[in-house]
Amino acid sequence: MVSILDRKVRRDLKARRSQFLAVVVTIILGIALFGGSYDAYLNLTESYDQLFVRLNTADMTITGGESNAIANDAAATPGVETVSRRSVAEVPVRIDGHHKMLARLVGLPVSGQPETDQVAVLSGAYLDGPSSVLVEQHMADHFALATGDSIEVLGPTGWTPARVAGKVASAEYLWPAPSRQQIFPSFDDFGVLFVADSVLAASPVSRQEVLISYSPAADTSATDTALLAVAKEHGAADATPLAEIPSNAALSEDLAGFQEMSLMFPLLFLAAAGMATYVLLTRLVLAQRGQIGLLVASGFSKRTIFGHYLRFGLLAGLLGAAFGAPLGGLLGAEISRLYTGAISIPFTVTTARISTAGIGVAFAMVAGALSALAPAIRAAKISPALAMRGLVPAGRGGTTLLERLLPPMRKLPARWKSVLRGIGRNRNRTLSTVLGVMLAVTLILTFWGMIDSIQVLLDRQFHQVNRQDAQIYLTVPVTPDFISAVRGINGVATAEPVTDVAATVHGVAKQYHTELIAFESGSAMHGFELDHSRGGLPEDGIVLGSSLRTELDLALGDRVKVDIPDLGVTTEETVAGFVKEPLGTYVYMAAPALQKLTGGSEVANSVYLQFDPGVDREVMRDRLSELSSVAAYIDSRTLESMANQFMGLFYAFVGIMLALGGVMAFALIYNTISANVAERASEVAMMRAGGIPRSTISRLLTSENVLLTLIGAIPGLAVGYVFAYYALATYSNDLFKWDLYIRPTTYAFTVIAILVAALASQRPVLRAVQRIDVATVVRERSL
Amino acid sequence: MKAIELHGVSKKFGEGSTAVHALKNVDLDFPSGELVVVLGPSGSGKTTLLNLVGGIENPSSGSLVVDGVELGSMGEEELTAFRRSHVGFVFQFFNLIPTLTALENVQLMAELVGRNHHESLDALTAVGLKDRADHFPGMLSGGEQQRVAIARALVKEPPILLVDEPTGSLDLETGRQVLAELRAVTDKDHRTVVLVTHNAAIGNMGDRVIRLHSGEIDSITTNDRPISPDEVEW
Repeated sequence: MVSILDRKVRRDLKARRSQFLAVVVTIILGIALFGGSYDAYLNLTESYDQLFVRLNTADMTITGGESNAIANDAAATPGVETVSRRSVAEVPVRIDGHHKMLARLVGLPVSGQPETDQVAVLSGAYLDGPSSVLVEQHMADHFALATGDSIEVLGPTGWTPARVAGKVASAEYLWPAPSRQQIFPSFDDFGVLFVADSVLAASPVSRQEVLISYSPAADTSATDTALLAVAKEHGAADATPLAEIPSNAALSEDLAGFQEMSLMFPLLFLAAAGMATYVLLTRLVLAQRGQIGLLVASGFSKRTIFGHYLRFGLLAGLLGAAFGAPLGGLLGAEISRLYTGAISIPFTVTTARISTAGIGVAFAMVAGALSALAPAIRAAKISPALAMRGLVPAGRGGTTLLERLLPPMRKLPARWKSVLRGIGRNRNRTLSTVLGVMLAVTLILTFWGMIDSIQVLLDRQFHQVNRQDAQIYLTVPVTPDFISAVRGINGVATAEPVTDVAATVHGVAKQYHTELIAFESGSAMHGFELDHSRGGLPEDGIVLGSSLRTELDLALGDRVKVDIPDLGVTTEETVAGFVKEPLGTYVYMAAPALQKLTGGSEVANSVYLQFDPGVDREVMRDRLSELSSVAAYIDSRTLESMANQFMGLFYAFVGIMLALGGVMAFALIYNTISANVAERASEVAMMRAGGIPRSTISRLLTSENVLLTLIGAIPGLAVGYVFAYYALATYSNDLFKWDLYIRPTTYAFTVIAILVAALASQRPVLRAVQRIDVATVVRERSL
Repeated sequence: MKAIELHGVSKKFGEGSTAVHALKNVDLDFPSGELVVVLGPSGSGKTTLLNLVGGIENPSSGSLVVDGVELGSMGEEELTAFRRSHVGFVFQFFNLIPTLTALENVQLMAELVGRNHHESLDALTAVGLKDRADHFPGMLSGGEQQRVAIARALVKEPPILLVDEPTGSLDLETGRQVLAELRAVTDKDHRTVVLVTHNAAIGNMGDRVIRLHSGEIDSITTNDRPISPDEVEW
């Protein structure tokens, strides 16, 4: 049977339905976003794990060095289950007879799937001979390659046709990034092909990889350490654990993002809902002091009163969870489906989980209960004798700090003084409003700051750091004649030879596999901003990406060993500087210094170009690709637009977050402002009775609310900055260096956005003020 | 000139079977400069009468002229302007703004009609609260708060002061002080004071006493020798 107190709860909530709805909506958002992001995190993790297991992905890949010795030692390492080998090479390929690009050729046995690092055949069939190739799904889709199509691979004897046997997915290339340095691939310029290993092994440009799988009982960390030592001992160029392969590392960033958001959302939204509930209930308890006094005087226990008001919070939590949890499940499944679809993961898990919904319900109930706790305790402590007297101290008096600091403020008109002092009138509510505004500003600035930073850093990467319009890779070393020929092409403003080769830098305890790029002295193709000076690329020594400072524990002036296997060079160089570049971690060296190490021979393998303004880039691609020794052509603008395109999902996501931040701000500010105005109904009526126009009263209330919002917005900007800083810092590693850059206009727009939310949220309240019936208030003696 | 004239004024709340007739066909007038006490039990229509005279409610029918102004046909903005310049209100629960000092509460209304700081202080001085000018409402007694409310109403210098149960929240001694202030408003400033109360004892200090019952005028009597506020007992 429904008790009368339950009925009272229902009717009290009905009387304050808009404020209660605001609370419930905020909880729904928090729980739904928690469920969505957490389920997405679990689904994606399970999808990846399932793929890795199904395709027997290697736990460690060791590249280069004495592969026989590495394979033997690896097999003897505790925890290792299987060891196999394969060949890999970067080779120019030609699509449709003219589109030149680089492809990574990965060797597979023609007889059937390998033991480790298998591929999933999505269409067509597995390799059926030495002239067949399997095309990784991103490349196949980008060029619309189907079974039976032909592509050309540049072999020792020139362009050789290969038949497409099928389209495949590979766990290693879920995201087909060429390397950790080039995490944003351009599908126009890079793709992955799987070819007969027997053919590839014979190629002079191929390198050997040792693929190692661990036994289920292996101590992954200990086995990783042991194998890294094996790799180092036998001169391997690189040793990559499963977690660090470029594709996996890039996707792990997204996973970490979902995991962080699944924590951040409930924190932000439930905190906001909690404050809104607190404000609503505090006001309710204040308004019902007489009723509470009567109930206590009539024999209701304090526990009953406490439970009665706690029920408001629990009910808000329950309703929020009832809608939020299923919504979260749907959202999680949808995000998982969209994301796995966008990345093209062949085996996906997109379920809604009961356990996540359960956690969401618990979150909502705890938030509801916590927010109702203080008002419920206050209600239980009300003395019936005092409460039934009916006179409640309406607020505090006192001059503001501003008036004390700035004495001329005391001469303000009384109505404006009431605005200033209204802020300190109910400190708990003011604090709730300010904290709520801070939360909303934090949410908005964090995400907006991330957008700003990424835009600024991508712009910096593609305009200030990389200054070339295009680069071409050659099958033979670049000669002065070739450079002259390129410079003579119509539309080319300048061209420089550049050496771009694989390199391994050895730190004190670790080594790092990357690319060494050597530029001409005074190169116009790359902007160097060294940590310690602005002098550009030094003549001697090497310049390293800044993450190697911590990654390899290096400092300026240290001597480090650098292996450059493609040039047959091992050298010890001085660290002449560190550069902080947004994408990748490279080693830079002056071309003359590198040439000295190679005995003066021509080693440049690519040409970087800048074009005349306004040239047709497609025409330039055709003109330059036609040159006989050109193996691949990469347009910098394509890379930039691909990077921006990849960020599109992120921008959409952030846009949704900004909108939800606005909703949250609206809900919270609406509740606090409603309470603020409700408390003053009698004062408003008095002012109206005294002849103060409605417009003046609205202006006074608006001013107070705007002031309160600004007071919350300013610390919110600082907290938002710190949040954004740490949010980006968690994504920074050797792949990305997302330093925080927030445009000054972003601060202004954030404050404007929050002010708009505040002004919008007070509109219904002001309408209620307009509708206050002075006569009724007078008649009911509530004045 | 008549301070207030009501001809056939009725006020009805609601419609149909639930309609409540708060005032029924009331005819009433009295000259300015009097202290008029409106007496009656709960539900007799006292507050409705005060609200109609103060222009915060419109009559359902009849004609209503206050301080020479016909209120019946006025819209909301005109009524607001009327209240600003013709009447002052004092309510039972004072309704001072807690964040403003006594003086600032008075100034709030003074600014509305362009009066300055000194005139606000004069209004407070007139109710004997000059020394409490910088105190916030929370620091004042109930009687002091009610006197601030009177000063706040008077600072606009309205010809008519409308007072609703001014002693309802006060003890006898404090109530007498407030009544003395209201008497002085009539005697010294020659303003009309309409005081609504259910306390019959207060009727003895009025120049004119109007008794209401069930929305109708029960009686109108004039006191040739109203008693002093000090003699009021309840």
